Amino acid sequence: MLTEVSQCAESINGVKEGRWKATLTFYKPMFRDQAVPAEYPRDFLGISLPEQPNRYYFIIRSQKIVLEADSSIQMIMEKLQSYKSRVSLTFEGFQYQLGDFQLRVGKVAPSASENLRGIVLEVEYLPLSSMEKSRQILDGFVEIWQEAMSKRSLPGHFMHIEPNFAEFGLSDHYTSQHTAVQYATVMAQLISAVQTAQAVRN
Amino acid sequence: MECVVQGIIETQHVEALEILLQGLCGVHRERLRIHESCLKSSPNLGLVASEVRVLCDLEQPEPTWIVRHIGGAMRGSGAEQISVLVRTMVESKVSKNVLRLFYALGYKLDHELLRVGFAFHFQRGASITVTVSSVNKMLKLHATDEAVPVTPGIQLVEVTAPASSENYSEVAAAVSSFCEYLAPLLHLSKPGTSTGVVPTAAAAAASLMSDAGVTT
Repeated sequence: MLTEVSQCAESINGVKEGRWKATLTFYKPMFRDQAVPAEYPRDFLGISLPEQPNRYYFIIRSQKIVLEADSSIQMIMEKLQSYKSRVSLTFEGFQYQLGDFQLRVGKVAPSASENLRGIVLEVEYLPLSSMEKSRQILDGFVEIWQEAMSKRSLPGHFMHIEPNFAEFGLSDHYTSQHTAVQYATVMAQLISAVQTAQAVRN
Repeated sequence: MECVVQGIIETQHVEALEILLQGLCGVHRERLRIHESCLKSSPNLGLVASEVRVLCDLEQPEPTWIVRHIGGAMRGSGAEQISVLVRTMVESKVSKNVLRLFYALGYKLDHELLRVGFAFHFQRGASITVTVSSVNKMLKLHATDEAVPVTPGIQLVEVTAPASSENYSEVAAAVSSFCEYLAPLLHLSKPGTSTGVVPTAAAAAASLMSDAGVTT
């Protein structure tokens, strides 16, 4: 499936630049006494992004919190022993250049297995950092992409749900924190889709 | 990992200490205004109780934030023979909503402090930082403009240097060696083993001020 999607990128004159990889980790709280009920976030995520190899991002989506940190924050979390890594997922695939657009196409799978969970597409319009100013251009690109995809016999379709960045305290100026929030949103979307599919099967 | 020693000095002698440090370090001092929040894990959270410090540098045009975890000190006969404390320390620069994140994770504010003073960063056998600061407490939550000294008339001097498991001996030796130059003004020792102010401080300070042509 990733090959098909990659070929779609090449069919619209995407130039392959190399590979990319992002990792998303679910953290779970640790308790000394399991019998004591506790209210702690169950959606505490950590994300590493390819364009920021020395940074790490924490997100609590339900509380609209995103934090950017040096990657040493992971060591601090290990030493605190209050939250442990539960499961990690890897987003990895190929990166393409299409004029002023950078495209990343990748599969989503648990880090310890090849069990494909989904396909992710990341599109960046490089000349602009303002999301408002680049919205129309990106929408136009997505239309071209969806049309190219419709010519291929692939199950499913790409869906984009834009997070409310303002709720996370993020401005119109696009940053890696915005990317981290988008990955968390994509993850939530994927989980929801899998749960819906399982419910239908049952 | 880091090597650390601490000492105290009377505020009236801080100017003399600054003159001495300026001469020894050969660099300009940097002003220091750090809001330090000590957070502790809620009961039952974590396999063990944990503590983390969030530092906000208020001296910068835009406040910058650091999370710092201080771990256990090196123990054993080897550690006892070293005159500086060697302990694990990890820190990370973070974006501004770090407190919100840790509160959401189940950490609570245990206490907060405001450190006001100056620091020298220099190379002398190791990358050494000397900070001289008054430690202030806030009368209202996060009210850094209304802080009062914890110990009026006394300031804290800290000498720290980053180290690794491969080079901590050399770093500790460099820190010890540097501290000897400060001996007339203050005694520096492992945190928790303070020896108070030194009796020669007043005379040493007067001498330094006189040499520097400063009249008090």
